[in-house]
Amino acid sequence: MFKQKTIEEVKSASRKSSSGTTSNAFYNNPRIRGFFYQIALIAGLLYFFGTIIGNTLANMEATGIKTGFDFLGAAAGYDVLMSLISFESTDTYGRIFVVGFLNTLLVSAIGIFFATLLGFVFGVAHFSHNWLIRKVALVYVEIFRNVPLLLQVFFWYFAVLSSLPGARQSLSLGEAVFLNVRGLYMPKLIGGDLSSLVWIALGAAVAGIFVLRRWAKKRQELTGQQFPVLKTSIAMVILFPLIVAALTGFPFTVEYPALKGFNYFGGITVIPELMSLAIALSVYTGAFIAEAVRAGVQSIPHGQTEAARSIGLRENKIMSLIIVPQAMRVIVPLLNSEYQSLVKNSTLAAAVGYPDLFNVFVGTALNQTGQAIETIFMTIIVYFVVNMVISFLMNRFNNAVALVSR
Amino acid sequence: MAKKALLTASILAATMTAGAVQAATLDDVKSRGTLTCGVSTGLAGFSQKDENGKWSGLDVDMCRAVAAAVLGDSEAVQYKPLTAKERFTALASGEIDMLSRNTTWTHTRDTSLGINFAGTNYYDGASFMVMKDLGVSSATQLDGANACIQAGTSTELAIADYFRENGMSYKAVTFDTSDQTRQGFESGRCDFLTSDGSQLAALRIGLANPGNAVILPEVISKEPLGPVVRQGDDQWFNIVKWSLNAMIEAEEQKVTSANASDMKANGNPANKRLLGSEGELGGNLGLSADWAYNIITQVGNYSESFERNVGMDSPLKLARGINASWRDGGILYAPAMR
Amino acid sequence: MKEFQPIAARPAPIKTVGFTAWLRDNLFSTIPNAVVTLSVIALLAYYLPLIFDWAFWSANFTGTTEDACVKEGACWVFINAWSYQFFYGTYPVEEVWRINLTLVLLVMVIAASFTLPKSIRLKASITSWLLLPVVGIAILDGRLLGLEVVSTDLWGGFTLNVFMAAASIIVAFPFSFLWALGRRSEMPFIRSVSVIFIEFFRGVPVLSLFFMGSVMLPLFFAEGTNVDKLIRVWLVLIFFMSGYMAEVFRGGFQAVPSGQYEAADSIGLSYWQKILLIILPQVIKVSMPNILATFVMLFKNTTFLLIIGIPEVVQTLQTALSNSYWLGGHALEGYLFVFLVFWGSCFSMSVLARRIERQMNTDKRD
Repeated sequence: MFKQKTIEEVKSASRKSSSGTTSNAFYNNPRIRGFFYQIALIAGLLYFFGTIIGNTLANMEATGIKTGFDFLGAAAGYDVLMSLISFESTDTYGRIFVVGFLNTLLVSAIGIFFATLLGFVFGVAHFSHNWLIRKVALVYVEIFRNVPLLLQVFFWYFAVLSSLPGARQSLSLGEAVFLNVRGLYMPKLIGGDLSSLVWIALGAAVAGIFVLRRWAKKRQELTGQQFPVLKTSIAMVILFPLIVAALTGFPFTVEYPALKGFNYFGGITVIPELMSLAIALSVYTGAFIAEAVRAGVQSIPHGQTEAARSIGLRENKIMSLIIVPQAMRVIVPLLNSEYQSLVKNSTLAAAVGYPDLFNVFVGTALNQTGQAIETIFMTIIVYFVVNMVISFLMNRFNNAVALVSR
Repeated sequence: MAKKALLTASILAATMTAGAVQAATLDDVKSRGTLTCGVSTGLAGFSQKDENGKWSGLDVDMCRAVAAAVLGDSEAVQYKPLTAKERFTALASGEIDMLSRNTTWTHTRDTSLGINFAGTNYYDGASFMVMKDLGVSSATQLDGANACIQAGTSTELAIADYFRENGMSYKAVTFDTSDQTRQGFESGRCDFLTSDGSQLAALRIGLANPGNAVILPEVISKEPLGPVVRQGDDQWFNIVKWSLNAMIEAEEQKVTSANASDMKANGNPANKRLLGSEGELGGNLGLSADWAYNIITQVGNYSESFERNVGMDSPLKLARGINASWRDGGILYAPAMR
Repeated sequence: MKEFQPIAARPAPIKTVGFTAWLRDNLFSTIPNAVVTLSVIALLAYYLPLIFDWAFWSANFTGTTEDACVKEGACWVFINAWSYQFFYGTYPVEEVWRINLTLVLLVMVIAASFTLPKSIRLKASITSWLLLPVVGIAILDGRLLGLEVVSTDLWGGFTLNVFMAAASIIVAFPFSFLWALGRRSEMPFIRSVSVIFIEFFRGVPVLSLFFMGSVMLPLFFAEGTNVDKLIRVWLVLIFFMSGYMAEVFRGGFQAVPSGQYEAADSIGLSYWQKILLIILPQVIKVSMPNILATFVMLFKNTTFLLIIGIPEVVQTLQTALSNSYWLGGHALEGYLFVFLVFWGSCFSMSVLARRIERQMNTDKRD
């Protein structure tokens, strides 16, 4: 029935065009038509936005709501739980914006790192020879992919991290690292006069690795000899700064966290809000990445594995040298959108009170100032820009892993 | 392709269920037959929903009182549960006729948000709750401690002021709902929990072992909570203001839901004025003469509402404290009803 | 003469079939594997009895108030007492058949789009899909059908999550199709508007869109108009979804071989004939798994509505937890319940998506 209709319509369409006279009329010219469509769209959009802006201004006028960005310079009057830059309750809303932005970047970066790690481990585990590992990978993906992230954030925060011991009964590791319900406390290195030299050495080591990789690759292409790049790199990163530090007489003091009064002070503190959000984001996004990795690996013809086996590569080498690099072509575009949704999902910080941009700005600042439009737009633009940057970087990466035809 | 914009526009137009915000909220409510009242999404004793979906609480009673005064039926209320963030927008846009959602009366809100506070139905203040084994007996011993606070409340500002004033430091751990705040406190994430005194009582009951926690004596802020209306409609403002005052006045005159009919016929002149058998009080508000009679018979006087929702007849067991009538040593005081 | 010397008996060959062989291959193939296996078994042996004891043996099942929870374990009475609200919100009990009817219609329309005879399937299912939100809202609201009006502030619970997700994605469907076409268009302005729209709604957090719906949108409407909060949020969700679905369709368009376009052009079809009759059916077919995946994402995201106070299921749970007669701490029971409901529905949808995908792959081979 469907097909018949099509044919009828085909006939009528051809009849129309063969009857001829109308087809030359100006309104049948696709370019002119297109031009008018676009004019109409512009007019519609202008009308739409004009109405909205007009209404908004009228509404704000009528209800006496303040407008403008003056509030950014006003003192916030409330405190923020965690801040990468110094912050006092007398600081401005503008500074709160920066604090929140940095916190968002931090949790997103941690989340992206661990989500990628988990995703690749469990994605590859799907092809393991151990039945138990295969099933664990399957259960992981099916549970964490199919439960709302909000519930997962609650779970990690209220069920898992809340059951850690209290501050005075902390779990400790050599009196240097402490873990309790209030977070993870780690010692901090405080640099002395010559400490910058050590950091320079570290930088030099990292730069050296890039040079080494290039050279090793070139040599392999020319002579077929392999060079243990990974081992050398690790040795370089550890030894270089260590030697420099020894030469300069270890210009560091270590600050250990210590229990004073109610809390541990000093050192580096990772608050449970950050931990639970980062864990939830990593585990949730990791499950999606695992699926992407699985799809990528499955897209590689089995012949590749057989060919690799026939030249005597070991199983783990087949995965890392043959399959995964080819699968990356499928995986990277998927990674791009997973990373972007991770950044967007980090707004769930509000559920556990991690002071990310959304929480401190659209949450508290909006509530205190009542300036909905300004705060929401500023926040939206930040997320938009961050996602554009991720998209840009991932597209560059995608071009790098794309099939190069020689 | 231009259809797209047209379609979008027409969808927008179609969804605008016209409910005009006119100056005369009273006429609106009367013609609609129900009062739309903004309440909290869930706050023990103040606005809470039971398992059958029925709303109750001190703030909810304020809505019911206004509905009884205006429409003669305390059940003719449409409750709109609102978050702290959207409450003022909801009022400004006309989505609700009045807001009764434990909102603290502050200067900034009263003057910059286009709203009016119609009085105070609960005088609250932020306090601290700590676990007994912490060995703290006063808030001044809390230097360097962690605080569990509910996000987006004025407590957040009050506590910052208090600690700065006393030269102490603290870390604020904020939670989205009061239940989560309690869980955070119970797990030991923070040393003390700060909230309005009325909520501390509710939170303490929710603890696995309420006997382990104590509420410290300090009250660090003034939190007068009351109903709110839009600016620019004085008649409506008066109705809400005097509905609250009628409940307070009724307690002063010892008029209760049980004896109101009797008092209306046989009471003293003040009783009769309040209950509408004498005088013009209802007419001046644009309401019927038995406006306050309806409030008292259907909702009760302030004392009845208090005891039922947060006082001794409720699980919260809050004492009247400063929320007692001025005759009993509190600060509740209704302007003269004449 | 040499005496006959039998060769010493050799050990039996390692079995490659049977239970023990399976165990050896899959669980104990190497020492680390064995360690992993044993520790997993030990953990299960320790925790499972505890969990079972809490959830079943010493749990409380009967009663209607908190006082009925006297035993140590879970208080399922809480779930039982509030289950109506968890599913239906505060929708009046005597009218609840309307929610159930809408759910049945939804299921029927889904079933119809897979089971109807192929000749009418596409048209019938597209028509019923597009009619469904209208009919559903008419039934739930009741105004148009002369039923008792149930205002939106009474809607809630898990069914609200389902309806919000379903209604947004269905209404977004035609719009997203237009946006996807716009993005492929050769008219520069239309193309750039489409790109900006799509990228905007894909690039910003859904939570911020909800906030826009709850606190910003009321300012956009003309003075004196006020739009119901649920409708505002629905509107925002439609925009959000049409951005996402446009990208799904774009992928679908790319998957249709260009020969199909050329063939349609060569027999003289107009632009809309070509798109609607030739391309669209193929696009929908190849996009089906992605559409389902997008729906699951949206469905999970409806829990975010709690942040703006819409009484969906998690919000209802939190309201229940703050009731002064249920203060005894039933969060674990509540969240476990919500977890199971969501996991059950999302998991079955992803199984369905996978099945469709497999079916399509075999189709291709034919």
